[in-house]
Amino acid sequence: MGQILYASVTIIAGVLLCVAYFWGTNAALDRLLPMRGPRASANVRRANAIRPWLFLGPSMVILGLYLVYPVFNSLWLSLHDASGRDFVGLGNYVWLFGDAKFLESVRNNMLWLVFVPAAATFLGLVAASLTDRIAWGSLAKSLIFMPMAISFVGAAVIWKFVYDYRAAGQEQIGLLNAAVTALGGDPVAWITVPFWNNFLLMIILVWIQTGFAMVILSAALRGIPEETVEAAILDGANPFQVFWRIKIPQIRGTIAVVWTTITILVLKIFDIVFAMTNGQWGTQVLANMMYDWSFRAGDFGRGSAIAIILMLAVAPIMVWNIRNARRENR
Amino acid sequence: MTRYAGRSALALICLSSIACAQDLPFAPGEGGFNWDSYEALKQRDLSGQVVTIAGPWTGEDRDLVESVIAYFEAATGADVRYSGSDSFEQQIVIDTAAGSPPNIAIFPQPGLAADLAAKGLLAPLSQQDAAWIAENYAAGDSWVDLATFEGPDGPALYGMFYKVDVKSLVWYVPENFEDLGIEPPQTMEELKALTGTIAEEGETPWCIGLGAGGATGWPATDWVEDLMLRTQPPEVYDQWVSNEIPFDDPAVIGAIEEFGWFARNDTHVAGGAGAVASTDFRDSPKGLFSAPPQCYLHHQASFIPTFFPEGTVIGEDVDFFYFPAYEGRDLGRPVLGAGTLWSITEDSEATRAFMAFLQSPIAHEVWMAQTGFLTPFKGVDTGLYGDPTLKKMGDILLGADTFRFDGSDLMPGAIGAGVFWTGMVDYAGGAPAAEVAAAIQATWDGIQ
Amino acid sequence: MEGIAGQKASLTWAVHIAVAALVILWTVPTFGLLVSSFRDKDQLAMTGWWTSLSASEQTLAARTEGPDAQIREGDLWVVRGNLFAPAGPGQVASWGASSREPAAFAPGETADLGDGEALRVEENGDYELSASAEMTGSRGQRVYVQSMEPPVFTLDNYRSVIGAEGIGRAFLNTFTVTIPATVIPILVAAFAAYALAWMQFPGRAILVACVVGLLVVPLQLSLIPLLRFHNAIGLGKGYFGIWLAHTGFGLPLAIYLLRNYMSGLPKDIIEGARVDGATDFQIFRRIVLPLSFPALASFAIFQFLWTWNDLLVAKVFLGTSDSQLVMTGRIVELLGSRGGNWEILTAAAFLSIAVPLVVFFAMQKYLVRGLLAGSVK
Repeated sequence: MGQILYASVTIIAGVLLCVAYFWGTNAALDRLLPMRGPRASANVRRANAIRPWLFLGPSMVILGLYLVYPVFNSLWLSLHDASGRDFVGLGNYVWLFGDAKFLESVRNNMLWLVFVPAAATFLGLVAASLTDRIAWGSLAKSLIFMPMAISFVGAAVIWKFVYDYRAAGQEQIGLLNAAVTALGGDPVAWITVPFWNNFLLMIILVWIQTGFAMVILSAALRGIPEETVEAAILDGANPFQVFWRIKIPQIRGTIAVVWTTITILVLKIFDIVFAMTNGQWGTQVLANMMYDWSFRAGDFGRGSAIAIILMLAVAPIMVWNIRNARRENR
Repeated sequence: MTRYAGRSALALICLSSIACAQDLPFAPGEGGFNWDSYEALKQRDLSGQVVTIAGPWTGEDRDLVESVIAYFEAATGADVRYSGSDSFEQQIVIDTAAGSPPNIAIFPQPGLAADLAAKGLLAPLSQQDAAWIAENYAAGDSWVDLATFEGPDGPALYGMFYKVDVKSLVWYVPENFEDLGIEPPQTMEELKALTGTIAEEGETPWCIGLGAGGATGWPATDWVEDLMLRTQPPEVYDQWVSNEIPFDDPAVIGAIEEFGWFARNDTHVAGGAGAVASTDFRDSPKGLFSAPPQCYLHHQASFIPTFFPEGTVIGEDVDFFYFPAYEGRDLGRPVLGAGTLWSITEDSEATRAFMAFLQSPIAHEVWMAQTGFLTPFKGVDTGLYGDPTLKKMGDILLGADTFRFDGSDLMPGAIGAGVFWTGMVDYAGGAPAAEVAAAIQATWDGIQ
Repeated sequence: MEGIAGQKASLTWAVHIAVAALVILWTVPTFGLLVSSFRDKDQLAMTGWWTSLSASEQTLAARTEGPDAQIREGDLWVVRGNLFAPAGPGQVASWGASSREPAAFAPGETADLGDGEALRVEENGDYELSASAEMTGSRGQRVYVQSMEPPVFTLDNYRSVIGAEGIGRAFLNTFTVTIPATVIPILVAAFAAYALAWMQFPGRAILVACVVGLLVVPLQLSLIPLLRFHNAIGLGKGYFGIWLAHTGFGLPLAIYLLRNYMSGLPKDIIEGARVDGATDFQIFRRIVLPLSFPALASFAIFQFLWTWNDLLVAKVFLGTSDSQLVMTGRIVELLGSRGGNWEILTAAAFLSIAVPLVVFFAMQKYLVRGLLAGSVK
């Protein structure tokens, strides 16, 4: 009982505090720089220069503390040895680019980057647009969404029952091998098949992330003004034309956001690889390698170097976003 | 609030008398326990002091360790809080680095403790502690050496082993042996011959599974270490573990290939060699119990009964024998084991008192008398072992000419919990032993 | 959207079939877990979950009673009983006394076990074990029985999760973590997103790019510096720390999603309000916030899910003692020291999925266009 009270009070207090901050600072600004009177136009200009920072303030403090500071901390660590005491310059990076596992991870991350965002966004788009047209659409949506609600540990167990391998002649408990043997084939140890096992792991993430893409895209699809669709239908467009020529262009921005979000998630994909293979059989990825070196090997220098590479990989997406934001400004 | 009031009231009763015996699995004064060592604890009053302990045990193991702790609490009045975590290794690294460590950490891998000691995050134990262990543990000096690490002020004893596991065990179902008309072997030659006999009968001798999610590959390291001790003198084993001889030394490659004799032969292992790496180590022993049996033998440490089917009685439904040594090589009876190392991560008076408690017979006997606990402490009454299996394991431990600690736990994390695992998975998948060993050595070179 | 009637009907069918196919593909793995969660833990690793849905022939290892139960009949020592005795009736299809040939004999046949012992098993499981000399030892003879087993399901897995000590408190702890960890970032992010979408100031584009860049910061990287920071300012481990941590980790995605949504709102409304003399704060509160409800709701769902299923952040910032453990932590505890009890995981996965699904259903109605379409015209 005490805990519920404590939690509720802090929730309410926290929310009130946030509201009070935003409301209070804005009110203070309005009072200090009134929009009326002799100096109105100068005041408006000054207020408009200050106000964005009032809005951004709390976010920037939290982001700075919780994300930017650790990044610089890692940058520092990545230039030092395992103990964190001796400066080694770019030694960790030089080692990294000579390491076969690292190159394998880069290759695998590339595969993930191409396959997962494309598949999840496409399937999410299909699911979003189809389920909106039928009566049981919201049930279908919930079922497709369900994997999102399962923890990664749970997901690993679920897929164990799909990919599991037992020798020929024994009863298969993996769905995939049961199907293969029922069709007269020999069972395959799926997650050990080089190269293709990467795709088996990717399928798990696609399975999870399609729900995310579907929810966001579905909201965007419903936001399309109906006039545009009706006009197209009056002009004799068939449903496919309506979808591809009218709807898709209007939600292009949202598709880009979904794609970007999943791309970034894929860059730091860790849990699935960790739980299913721990990067063995040629499935290593950067984030898992970083974890291995930081927490298994206790070498934060190398672990941080991998993390910095990971963050550099996101640079093209950042540039693209800067240009996008500039275009909107015009 | 009432919850806490209730709790402290209970604590008061405990202080005033032995009335809280219901919290203690064995009532003080009864049975063959060394109650004198328990009474001696009462000389110190630590009420109001808190000791926090972090360790890898959860579930049933957690209850067991807490039952031991309860005696310390009852005798001294201190409040000891144990918290277990399945990702203990990672968490202790974070907690010590961030400055919020527990008082005591229980390391399953001494290598990790050595890392932390080097960074100055552990408090050394005293000379008296070292002397006590050397004197009272079987092969005491080696237990002191295993816990002596290079710290900021030179080498020192940084922990004490409490709770030991035996790894050199082979599990089998006696009735299946009867059906096949075979007997547990006494020597490695016999074991290999037995493997051949079972295979010739059209049955599969071994169940081997290396799968363990994020730790896939580790069961193979136990195999290689055990075989290393059976093909090379212990000194070579020590050199291997400290990398005085390279990982791709012919001696090591030989041990890996010995493992291959068992695991890379389709007729020797359930599911064929291809199934070894992907079979989960927790599922693997279940093959012993199926009908008809998928296999007859399973090499695994003393903890594996946790994963036997429910209701399995050890000693009747299933039994074990010592993973034998070569008669022809004259290397004695080597035993591979592991243990948990208790170290001080945040010093205090009560913490020292708790470490002293671990040196009293009662701390060992209480867990012994339950389940899953072996100890090298000579001052305990071995008659107290909770079941005959434990006693038999304890005998294997005491009957060892050579005791060696799990090598992968002693190697640096990047090797012993990294490329050694992945390398063994590659080897089980068909890569040549020399190539795998060379790759592991290359990583080792890269971290020095 | 209305096309020609015939075309529409066939198209609707195609849509139904396509959605059904997608749903089946998406749910079969989870359904397997659901079925598994009702199965016995030993069966789980032995047979496929789909076999448990129908009656199947199974091999059981049974045991006769021990020599204690033998009675002397003439020259023979005899043990009688029923192999199915404690569990209930069953039907023997075939049986065997050796693990190598577990189906060697038909019901009613007599097997010679050697050493003068003989065993006969009837169809209903009655057996008679006879020996020419007195039997010794402590256990009975092992008998393998092939019998048709109806599907067997158990609630034990759920019982052990629900009945676990401290699970109620863990549930409460989880809520104490997740609700503020969902509400705070949304509130903070909404203001930032509005500023980045609709206010003019230098460096805006760079800031947007930085937020995108921060999305990729791996969580593991931040754990040590942040916990050190919490310890340094005296926050230590506790709820405040974990709320702040979740807020920090969730903010980039929140700002990014919300900014994108808000910048897509019709320009005329906002410009119009500005011309009318509304301040940005008023525009935000009266126009942008209500219009952004679907985006707020979808982010709320994701943030809630993420904090609900989180284990790592909770362990590091909240601690692992009994009074601090969250649901995921408690479940991992149930898995045992070596994480082998999958049957616990199967049940736990379904119990922990329930709350997020309820949240999803409750939020779903806010995800529809109603609010947006109604005001955009």
